[in-house]
Amino acid sequence: MQPRRPPPPAPGPPRPAAPLLALPLLLLAVQGAAAPAGPEAAEWRPDTGPPHGLLRQAARAALHFLNFRAGSPSALRVLAAVQEGRARINAKKECTVDLVFTTERYNSEEGEESLGKCSARVFFRNRKPRPAVNVTCARLMEKTKRQQEDYRLYKQMKQLRNPLDGVSIPDSHGHIDPSLRPVWELAFLGSSYVMWEKTTRFLHYYMAQLSGVKQWETNDGAIDFDYTVLLHEFSTQEIIPCRIHLVWSPGKPLTVKYHCQELLAPEDASGTEEGSAVAPTELSNF
Amino acid sequence: MQRLLILSVLLGAVLGKEDFVGHQVLRISVADEAQVQKVKELEDLEHLQLDFWRGPAQPGSPIDVRVPFPSIQAVKIFLEAHGIEYTIMIEDVQSLLDKEQEQMLAFQARASSTDNFNYATYHSLEEIYDFIDLLVAENPKLVSKLQIGSSYEGRPLYVLKFSTGGKNRPAIWIDTGIHSREWVTQASGVWFAKKIVQDYGQDPAITAVLDSLDIFLEIVTNPDGFAYTHSTNRLWRKTRSRTSGSLCVGADPNRNWDAGFGLAGASSSPCSETYHGKSANSEVEVKSIVDFVKDHGNIKAFISIHSYSQLLLYPYGYKKAAVADQKELDEVAKSAVAALTSLYGTKFQYGSIYTTIYQASGSSIDWAYNQGIKYSFSFELRDTGSNGFLLPASQIIPTAEETWLALQTILEYTLNHPY
Repeated sequence: MQPRRPPPPAPGPPRPAAPLLALPLLLLAVQGAAAPAGPEAAEWRPDTGPPHGLLRQAARAALHFLNFRAGSPSALRVLAAVQEGRARINAKKECTVDLVFTTERYNSEEGEESLGKCSARVFFRNRKPRPAVNVTCARLMEKTKRQQEDYRLYKQMKQLRNPLDGVSIPDSHGHIDPSLRPVWELAFLGSSYVMWEKTTRFLHYYMAQLSGVKQWETNDGAIDFDYTVLLHEFSTQEIIPCRIHLVWSPGKPLTVKYHCQELLAPEDASGTEEGSAVAPTELSNF
Repeated sequence: MQRLLILSVLLGAVLGKEDFVGHQVLRISVADEAQVQKVKELEDLEHLQLDFWRGPAQPGSPIDVRVPFPSIQAVKIFLEAHGIEYTIMIEDVQSLLDKEQEQMLAFQARASSTDNFNYATYHSLEEIYDFIDLLVAENPKLVSKLQIGSSYEGRPLYVLKFSTGGKNRPAIWIDTGIHSREWVTQASGVWFAKKIVQDYGQDPAITAVLDSLDIFLEIVTNPDGFAYTHSTNRLWRKTRSRTSGSLCVGADPNRNWDAGFGLAGASSSPCSETYHGKSANSEVEVKSIVDFVKDHGNIKAFISIHSYSQLLLYPYGYKKAAVADQKELDEVAKSAVAALTSLYGTKFQYGSIYTTIYQASGSSIDWAYNQGIKYSFSFELRDTGSNGFLLPASQIIPTAEETWLALQTILEYTLNHPY
C-alpha cells in the first residue's frame, strides 16, 4: 500500500490544499443555513446516486494524476471500471467525489489479469481546471520489475535514430511500429500531466496522436524530449495541439513544460495555456 | 504488344513450365521479297524453336519473333549474313515477365471480388466505392446501389439497398462514417454489407428479416470529410462546406438535423468541431438523407454509427426529458448490448444521449425519432480512449463482428414489433 501523498507543488494557481481543509467546514455551513433552491446544493440522496458521468470524470482525473506522479512509462494505467462512489456539491458548485475504481496496465501483456484497485478523492472547482487529487492504488507491478522495464525503455529510446521528423505515432491506420512504442509511452506519460491539469468538472481529454517529435537529445544521460501531441477533448470534440517538453530518467522525477493551442477560447482562457511541474521525490511538507 | 507477350508466354509457362531467361524478341525489317523468303526459310528450321508473333508477310511489314537463348547466335548470324536488318525489341523476356507479374499482383491488391477484399484494413473512398460496385455485381438480386445526392464537393452519396422484393417494404436505415475521422465505422459498414449477403439464405435470423424488411446502408455518409482524412488531416470530423464570412470549413453533420437545432449542445461558431451549420439541413449530406427517408415513408428503425466510447444510445440528446418510448428503447438497448458483449467481452454502456454522453442538439436520431421512427439508436464503437479514432486495423473485424450481434438484435426486434 503506497502512503497517501498530497498533490505536488507547482508554480501558477494556488494549490487547493487550504480549501480542501475548509471544505467540510463550508459544507457544514451550507447545511446549517436555509436550504438553497435546487437539488444541487445538497448531498445526493443515496438511492439516486451521483450522475454516472461524474464518477468516471473523477476516475480519469485521478488516473492522469497518478500516472504523472508515478513517473514510470512502463507502469501506465487506464480505467477498467468504476466500482462505487459518492459526491457532494456545495453552493459554489464545487464538487468532491470519493470513489473506488479498478485499473489495468496501459500496455497489458497477453494473459495478464491484474486489476489494480484504487481509491481516490477528487475535488473539482466548478469549471476550473486542475482538480485536486488524492489517490491510492494497490500496486499493479512489482517494484523491481517496473524499474527494469523503465530502464529497458530508456535504453530503447537512446538507441532510436533522432530526429523522428514528420513521423506520426500512431499512423493513420492506428499502427505503432514496435521500435517507436517507447516514444509513445513516454509521450503519454508527459501528456498525463497536461491532461490532468486541463481536466475540469466537464472537460476530459485523451491523447489522439503524436504529430511530431521535434527535437530530442540526451543530456547528462537523461532523455530530453520535445514533441507535439494532439489531445482530443471529448465534450467539445476539439483537437488541441500541445507542445510538450519533458525530461526523464528512470527513477528520477519527471519534469514537464507545455504550451497548448486553445482553438476555441473557453470561458476564461486567453488563447494559449502554459504550465510546468516537477514531480516530487518524497513527501512534501504540506 | 505487352499483353500479347503475357498471354502467349504465360500460357507456355503454365502448360510447359518453361522459363524465358535470356530469350529475346527481334523485330526484323525485310527490304524485298527475297528477304521475306529468307526469313521464311528460318521459320522452317524447327530445331531453332522460333516463335513468330508477327510472321513473314511482305516487304515493309515488320516481322516479330521470339528467339530462345540457344538459338540467338545462329539467328543473328543468319540475318547479318543476308543483310537483313533487325532490332532487339525485348532484351530478356523473363525479366519483363517478372516485372509485369509484379504489376499484375499490384493490380490484384485491388480486389477483383468481395471474397478477396481485405476487410482487416482501412480503405480509401475509391476502394470502398469499388467494393460497393463489386458487391452489387455479385448479388444483383439482393443488392442495389442508390445515389441519394451529391456531397458539397460533388462526390456521389451512395446507399446500398438490400431487398428480397415487395414494394416499399418497411425498412431499416443504417449509416456509418457521418463523422469522417471515425474510420472503424466505415470499415465496419463494409463488413456489414458483406455479412448481409453471406448470411441471407444461410442464417435464419437475417433471412427472416430480409424476407419482410429492406435494409438501407450508407457506408460513407460524409465522403468529402473522408477524402480529407486520407489526403490532409486524419482527425477531420465535419463536412467540407464553406461558410461565407469565415475562414473555417465544415459543419458537424450530427448537429445539423432539425431536432432542437441550434439549442445548447452545438456551437454557433464555424470554427468549432460541433458547429451546427447555418440552418437545419444546410449540409447536403444531411438533407439527402432527410429527403430520402421522408420520400420512402416506411422506415421503421434508424441507426447511426459513430466511434469512440463503447455506448449504445437512444434519443434525446437535445433535452433531458425522456422519450415516450424510453422504457422499450432501454430494454432493446439492454439486450443489444448483452448480445454484443457476449462475443469478446467488450463492455458497453447504454442510455439516452443526454444522460449517457452529453447534451447534443440537432442529432440524427433525435430527428428520426421525432419523425415517428421509434427504433432510433446511435452506436459509439471501440474503444474507450486508448486508441480513440486511430483504432488499430487489427480491431476492425472484431469490432464489426460484435457490433453486428447488437444490430441483429435491433433488426429482429423491429421485425417482430411492427408499428
